[in-house]
Amino acid sequence: MTDLGIVLIKIILALVWFLVLTLYLTWAERKESAVLQDRIGANRASIFGLRLFGLFQPFADAIKMIFKEDFVPAFSRKFLHTLAPFLSFFFVAITISAIPFGDDIRVAGKTISLQIFDADIGLLFVLAMLSLGIYGILLSGWASNNRFALLGSVRGAAQLISYEVALGLSLVGLIMVYPSLRLSDIVRAQGSLLFGFLPAWGVFLQPVGFILFLFAAIAETKRVPFDLPEGESEIIGFFTEYGGLKWGLFMMTDFMEILIVSTLLTTLFFGGWQVPWLGAGGFQFPWGGTWHLAPWLVTVFQVAAFNLKVFFFCWFQILIRWTFPRLRYDQLMDLGWKLLVPLSLLNILGTAIVMSF
Amino acid sequence: MVKIFLDGGPVEVVEGTTVFKAAQRAGIAIPHFCYHPAFVPEGSCRLCLVEIEGSPKLELSCSMVVREGMKVSTQSPAVREARRAVLEFILAEHPLDCPICDKAGECKLQDYYQDYGLTESVFREFKEKREKKVRIGDQLILDRERCVLCTRCVRFLAEITKTHELGLFERGIHSEIGGYENEPVRNGYSGNLVDLCPVGAITDTEFRFKTRSWFLTKGESICPLCSRGCNIFIDYHPGFPRVAGSAKVYRIRPRTNEAVNGPWICDHGRYGYVDLQRKNRCEKLIWNKGPGSTTELSWDKALIVIGEKIKALRENGKTGRISLILTTWLTNEELFLIKKIFKDGLGVRNVSFADPAPGTEDGFLLRADRTPNRRGAREMGFEVKPVDLDVLARDSDILFIFGSSLAGGSNDGAWKAALEKVSVKILVTAHLNELASAADFVLPASSVAEKSGTLTNADGRIQRIAAIARACGDIRPEVQILLDLAREIHLDDAYFGALTGPEEVHRELAKDIPFFGARP
Amino acid sequence: MLKAFGYFVELLRGIWITTRHFNVNMWFHTLNLFGIKTKRKGAVTIQYPEQKKDLASRHRSLHRLMKRDDGKPRCVACLLCVTVCPSECIVIEAAEDPDPEIQKYPSTFVIDLNRCCFCGFCVEACPEDALRMDTAKIDLAQTSHDALIFGLDKLLK
Repeated sequence: MTDLGIVLIKIILALVWFLVLTLYLTWAERKESAVLQDRIGANRASIFGLRLFGLFQPFADAIKMIFKEDFVPAFSRKFLHTLAPFLSFFFVAITISAIPFGDDIRVAGKTISLQIFDADIGLLFVLAMLSLGIYGILLSGWASNNRFALLGSVRGAAQLISYEVALGLSLVGLIMVYPSLRLSDIVRAQGSLLFGFLPAWGVFLQPVGFILFLFAAIAETKRVPFDLPEGESEIIGFFTEYGGLKWGLFMMTDFMEILIVSTLLTTLFFGGWQVPWLGAGGFQFPWGGTWHLAPWLVTVFQVAAFNLKVFFFCWFQILIRWTFPRLRYDQLMDLGWKLLVPLSLLNILGTAIVMSF
Repeated sequence: MVKIFLDGGPVEVVEGTTVFKAAQRAGIAIPHFCYHPAFVPEGSCRLCLVEIEGSPKLELSCSMVVREGMKVSTQSPAVREARRAVLEFILAEHPLDCPICDKAGECKLQDYYQDYGLTESVFREFKEKREKKVRIGDQLILDRERCVLCTRCVRFLAEITKTHELGLFERGIHSEIGGYENEPVRNGYSGNLVDLCPVGAITDTEFRFKTRSWFLTKGESICPLCSRGCNIFIDYHPGFPRVAGSAKVYRIRPRTNEAVNGPWICDHGRYGYVDLQRKNRCEKLIWNKGPGSTTELSWDKALIVIGEKIKALRENGKTGRISLILTTWLTNEELFLIKKIFKDGLGVRNVSFADPAPGTEDGFLLRADRTPNRRGAREMGFEVKPVDLDVLARDSDILFIFGSSLAGGSNDGAWKAALEKVSVKILVTAHLNELASAADFVLPASSVAEKSGTLTNADGRIQRIAAIARACGDIRPEVQILLDLAREIHLDDAYFGALTGPEEVHRELAKDIPFFGARP
Repeated sequence: MLKAFGYFVELLRGIWITTRHFNVNMWFHTLNLFGIKTKRKGAVTIQYPEQKKDLASRHRSLHRLMKRDDGKPRCVACLLCVTVCPSECIVIEAAEDPDPEIQKYPSTFVIDLNRCCFCGFCVEACPEDALRMDTAKIDLAQTSHDALIFGLDKLLK
């Protein structure tokens, strides 16, 4: 098997993982919101009468969206109008390539990293791609030639650029602690122990950085407490003039962003694929016990741990979306510029002081 | 002059006036059923009781003549109690038919019950059963249960028409209105009985069960069906927005004008008017291009086409070959515009009038001349002469026909041959008949209820009609059609451009012709 | 900064409330799935077409016209419902009944449910108790406008 083949297989697997989870995130969102509001949620979609808690709902939605009329308003800029959702989708989808799903595995004498693209600037790559997503929003608003869409996209651009700053600055402390931008290095560094028992996860080393990153990252997803670009009840948002599959792409982009933010939170602050006290040979508990595991079992544990952490953060983000009301625009800007950015700077200063001793 | 005190306030009236009329002059309403200003007071309903100082019991105001210094109280507790008691007795035999009664909403008994009654009935007996559907005339149905025996109908037939068809029969609780030998009321004024009846005892089959009175808006107008020019109310239903054809004129009622018609109108006008408004209406602008080829035109297009034809004649200096057939149904304003445009502007000579054949005069209100504005046309300077078909066929290239009375006259069918010789025939009409198929252009005009203007009755009285009903389809008032035409052919743009509606036209008319200026 | 911290505490409290709801409901959903504690449901939802809630006694559903003992409509075509109807959805044409005790009956009586707002004023206005809205029919959706125009035949059923 050639290296190219391996990479292709990794890309396909990662994309399948990503898209299937995105699809079911829509289901999870509907169900979770229902349960926390004493409702039941979508449970009607069925195949031959088999309902399975509405697990087929995402497929029903997808079929509906595919077969809806692909309507392009007469007054829009046709090419850009069509391009915008694909741009949004692409720039989010590509970030998954930098995320490590597990430790390197050895198959038939070859070392295969469970990561598509282990760049030494992996973190910057992810941030850069997330920033480029703004183009999709701006283009959609501009090309729709609709004042509400434009308003939404301008809001979106301002919000995303503002929070980009906080997002980047909140991670500087982390980069100082694990002096690397390579995501696999950051994850590996989190495998060590603090004081002999506490895993050296980002959340323990950078608690303030974690909270700042959480705020900024949720703002980046443009979901409810920060959904000013969409603002359903006031301006409908940058996708006012979209319908059918193109609107579906925007919505999928939204859910993919949740997933990306979850993987980033996991990777950067919760040890990525690391399981506490699990080494290459098995568990080595701080109280002295050991549990030897076969290498493939270790990999299974790692991938499962990564997935579990990602699921938790997806659940958590949905919880936040269904808990808080939308911010006012000035509050949004205040939060970004007057709270998150200064706190990030203080965090960098604090980290530097602690590290210099 | 006699000075009396009504509810404390002094009122001066002529000697011999009744208390009721004095109160009316002072603006005090006294409830009544049987009293009517046109008849001698009868005093049978006993509702107009008033208290007079020094009098041992309550007195009937409708027949009590005023004395100097009389102190009358129309609202004292005793009076109110008496009225309440009278109403209670009337209601003891009056059925609760209000939901299906055509009078509901304009019924005096309902009003007085609101004002004085509002009591629970203390009678435990059943109400007397009477005949509810007695046909007493061609259009009249009597409901004896509803009748309060005010005898207004009997007195109208005795004093006004003097035909005595109805009378009051039997005694006591069995009293009832009825015809002698069951002869129907048939005298040309029978419709007035419906308006006279203070309750819903006499109803009109033309109006019966068709709609309810509160849906109707009333507009003041003039009856156009003879040259008397009786004053009328038009009761118009503005229609339900989603029901096609629900907007229509339901009935007309007399409007009191002592100088013209008093409080009455004749059946010819009453029933003719509603048909005039509803039947055979011309609603679409039609262009009969050739045999079997008919298209609908827009007004803009039609005016351009007609204007082109007139302009072509004008350029050749042959406007004398335009002929006009008018009708005395046209209002003063329309006639004036026709005069200004065709006679003065284009120099049209050949003007004649086609009108419905005169009927017989009945000696009271109805006149032989069954058109409303012959006097107006004369005063305008038109010579009202009948159509000379030979001249018409010889001298016309363009013929304007207003109204549809040319067909159906005595010249049976001769007009068809004459019209065929004229190359362009333009018909401006509110009603469709066979004339429409002979014309090249059929322009739908508004009916009398849909336009405003003035009419001159035979006595030279200029009376106003108002646009009360909303025109449907392409219908436009003649004044607008004529003004648009004048603008289309650019005939004195400054003069016609300043005229926008019938009011401005009337102002010009009053300036031009002293006859119309002297009067309102 | 202190104020911001106060907000942060409130945010946490909010999250606590929603999380508690989620956990409690999820717990009962799971138990119910295994047939335990089925009296306590995880949701208050009524699964409509299968489960139906009892309608309130004053609930206004599809109209019906009442009949006399002999099967004729009780309606006397007084047009009071037409008068009071705020959405102008009732059209009645009256006709003369041969029976002088009835006199007036509706030859057409149309309720256009496309326009009807189910305010029930027509029922209140009716002096004959001829119109009622107590059929308990609430699934009235149709695929064409015409099917929602109810004439005498449908209303008298």
